[in-house]
Amino acid sequence: MDDPWVSQALRLALLILVAAPLTALVPIARRLKLLFWLVAAASLLALAASISVVINGDAPQFSLWSPAPYADLQVRLDATGAFFAAIVAGVALAASVFGSAYAHHSQVDDAVYPLFVLSMLLVVAAGNVYSFLVAWEAMALASFILVIGDGTPQPRRLAALLYLVMTHASSVFVFAAFFIIADHAGSASFEAMAADPLSGSTASLAFVFAILGFGTKAGLMPLHVWLPRAHPVAPSHVSALMSAAMVKVGIYGLVRVSFEMLAPGESWWAFLLIALGALSAVMGVLYALMEQEIKRILAFSTVENVGIIAIALGVALAFRSHGEDSLAAAALAAGLLHAANHGWFKTLLFLGSGSIQAATHTLNLDRLGGLARRMPVTGAALLVGSLAIAALPPFNGFAGEWLLMRSLVDLASSDVGAAASLAGLGALAALALTGGLAVACFVRLYGIAFLGVARSEAAERAGESAKAMYLTLALLALGCLVTGLAAPWMVRSLGGVTTELLGANGINSGGDDVLVLDSGGSISPLVIAGVLVLLAPLPWLLARLIWGANQRRRGAVWTTGVAFRPSMQYTAASFTKPVRLFFSRLLLPERTIAVTYHGASPLPRLVSYTGRVPALFDERLYEPARSAAVWLAGRIRLLQAGSAQLYLLYMMAALVLLVLVATR
Amino acid sequence: MSAVALGAVQLVAIVALSPLLNGLIRSVKARFQQRKGPPLLQNYYDLAKWMGRGEQLADSTSFVHYVAPVGVLAAALAASLLVPMLSDRTPMTSGGDLLVFVGLLALARALLALGGMDSGGSFGQMGSSREVAISSLVEPVLLVALATLAIEPGTTRMGEIVVAADADPADFLGVGWALAAAAFAVALVAETGRIPVDNPDTHLELTMVHEGMLIEYSGRSLGMLHLAQMVKQALLVVVLANLFLPFGLAHDHSAGGYALGALIVLPKLAIIGVGLAVVESSFAKMRLFQLPDLLGAAAALALLGAAITVLYA
Repeated sequence: MDDPWVSQALRLALLILVAAPLTALVPIARRLKLLFWLVAAASLLALAASISVVINGDAPQFSLWSPAPYADLQVRLDATGAFFAAIVAGVALAASVFGSAYAHHSQVDDAVYPLFVLSMLLVVAAGNVYSFLVAWEAMALASFILVIGDGTPQPRRLAALLYLVMTHASSVFVFAAFFIIADHAGSASFEAMAADPLSGSTASLAFVFAILGFGTKAGLMPLHVWLPRAHPVAPSHVSALMSAAMVKVGIYGLVRVSFEMLAPGESWWAFLLIALGALSAVMGVLYALMEQEIKRILAFSTVENVGIIAIALGVALAFRSHGEDSLAAAALAAGLLHAANHGWFKTLLFLGSGSIQAATHTLNLDRLGGLARRMPVTGAALLVGSLAIAALPPFNGFAGEWLLMRSLVDLASSDVGAAASLAGLGALAALALTGGLAVACFVRLYGIAFLGVARSEAAERAGESAKAMYLTLALLALGCLVTGLAAPWMVRSLGGVTTELLGANGINSGGDDVLVLDSGGSISPLVIAGVLVLLAPLPWLLARLIWGANQRRRGAVWTTGVAFRPSMQYTAASFTKPVRLFFSRLLLPERTIAVTYHGASPLPRLVSYTGRVPALFDERLYEPARSAAVWLAGRIRLLQAGSAQLYLLYMMAALVLLVLVATR
Repeated sequence: MSAVALGAVQLVAIVALSPLLNGLIRSVKARFQQRKGPPLLQNYYDLAKWMGRGEQLADSTSFVHYVAPVGVLAAALAASLLVPMLSDRTPMTSGGDLLVFVGLLALARALLALGGMDSGGSFGQMGSSREVAISSLVEPVLLVALATLAIEPGTTRMGEIVVAADADPADFLGVGWALAAAAFAVALVAETGRIPVDNPDTHLELTMVHEGMLIEYSGRSLGMLHLAQMVKQALLVVVLANLFLPFGLAHDHSAGGYALGALIVLPKLAIIGVGLAVVESSFAKMRLFQLPDLLGAAAALALLGAAITVLYA
């Protein structure tokens, strides 16, 4: 069934990515363009191949390199893998085209960038545990190198080191989860592991390991702490790849393990995932609202969106553990659809931040303003991206959340148990809160950066970015609209993936323009968009007909009669003050006001105010853990006294202990 | 009646009657305050005045200034096609459901908040800042309260909910329903910017929310934004009247049936309108930072109602 062109295209794409670092031999002047266009070409090939696999379902399978019987680098792209490969390749395509005009030359980054894309593709295309783990580690290392860059300034180095530590800690759990399952299946091939899914208490252990391992890569709270530090410090096209593609690779691992390699498990699996997802979604967007650097806002919003995807996976697990495979398929489709949609708008927003960076050399909201007039294409594209990520109809973000909310209503009204129904209600409320806060977050981001008046000279002088950059943004914005309208078609194309994982589809066929769920419920984004487009000009036309053409005059902004200054505008911090106070019990903001008096005079000489929102997980969870680890290391160091006799004694003791254990 | 004709009827009805409903609330409030108040039809005069006037724009506005009023009104009108007004049918039956309804209201809110930030004036930005914070709390209340109605019939389409409720009213009118209706009423007050959440009559800078966002708007754009707000208010009242009290809606889909439906629905709307005026007259506006208590209580009510519906259905 192997379609020859699909596997040829895939091989060619991988070959180009392997060979791309050779562009180092080309003179510097042309190197970057060549490199990025090569990666773009490879991504396009991989994208075409993986979309074909998702739709037609014949999985290409071939061995790349097999130096030893146990070490077989095997590619097997089934529908599930191909779906995630399409996300990776699509994001890489956009990031590379954008990068060709945006990136600066750097010896190391140039060589590592294609390898990063390659490793992500290989993870989702891995056919056995060995290939998966090799690609997984390569992905971790490549992204680490891209994050650390030249190691300046210091926060960048610290962020990269934190990422390295956490990603390796998580790898341990990924290894452990796979070893447990492979041990049970008696084979390290994914096909064999899926054919004989693990069940029982070891399955629960593997599931928890999978959440710890893959959840860290995906940025699930409370394992997310590295993400908002590491993603923003890389160049924007790399940030886009990390935030829009690499976290999905983590989701992929979670999907692969929990739906294919583990038998339907205990109901607490679902509750755990839903709870972590709801925590990530609500707290992620709240922390995003507290940040004032655009890329950090976007990174926290990635945590939020991963949370939404995790809720969907949790709901699917809840249905699956009760044998409701059709409903599980609809929930899983919601998660996958949201993962794909997030690929579109997060890429758009991160690349857009690159465009802002190139134009103004700053990403601090309080130094921006009025960019919509100075960068019209970037401004219009990012407006679409902001509306899409805030899950507003008719853009793609809404389609995924609609399907998920519909699944949650199904969970609440189905008879899979009171606990699951209540969890569904809780998740529904959390999702609605997240949606409301996401609107606040992106109204703030767009309103402060793009509307109003420039808050700095740099923003005053901004101009539209290079053609390759703004065209990429415009196409991505169009994609956010088109994939929103084509959501029914996309969900139906996902049928192959859900059938592969759950043996059920969950989505009725109602034509390509309307999405009908088995459980009763439908949406037609095309009709909604059509109605909006028809209704928007209608009042204008009527008013024009009745009252004649509109007269417009321009004048100053009304500021109670005094002259307007840009500093009168709301800042990023003042805009979120209501949110900060409304949610103060979750955010625990701190403020200190110090008043210095001048001698005995009652008039204060100096009033200083500082306020901050502490990063609770870092300070309350990771800092104590770090201190404990350092303390423990200090204790253990006592063993290393430096005397050879002592070490011989240790060896002797260890040997005796082993003999005792072995002969028991 | 075909879907398109029904849609046209609903659009004309909501646009024509929402200023009247708003005027009714204003008149009743004025009565409570021992005033005569403006004429019942004052909103129509105001709209006609704004629509016919030229616009004054701030120097700093961008394309968002034009997009916002058009988009807000279009989203509110599109939402009106999802609501059963006179019968148990909606014009966009397969197009969307109550989740889309909530989504379209959110779209209107986001565009309005962006419009408020466009000129760079601090009053508009202050209004937007407050609006998005308040609505982030309103959204869960609105959604959970509406979803409570969907749990029993297992559908999120508003028309089907009405049919299911009419078929078995005793089952529908439970404790869960009562709590959800109470929560929805609070969300309605907050969503339409009425006392105790926002004061539609204030133009005192420090207390404005909705009016703050409109401050740089004038002429036709202002008229459209006011109309959109009145449409939104009427829509939510219709949802309260027809989904939470789903009785008297036509089940036979003829012109006569619709007329009969209108005869029952319109008094329901008027009664709810008077009720809103009574609520507004008997409470003082809350301080902004006390709102989480009110809306948090409403969210708790909605969740409790939904939980009871799940557990005892």
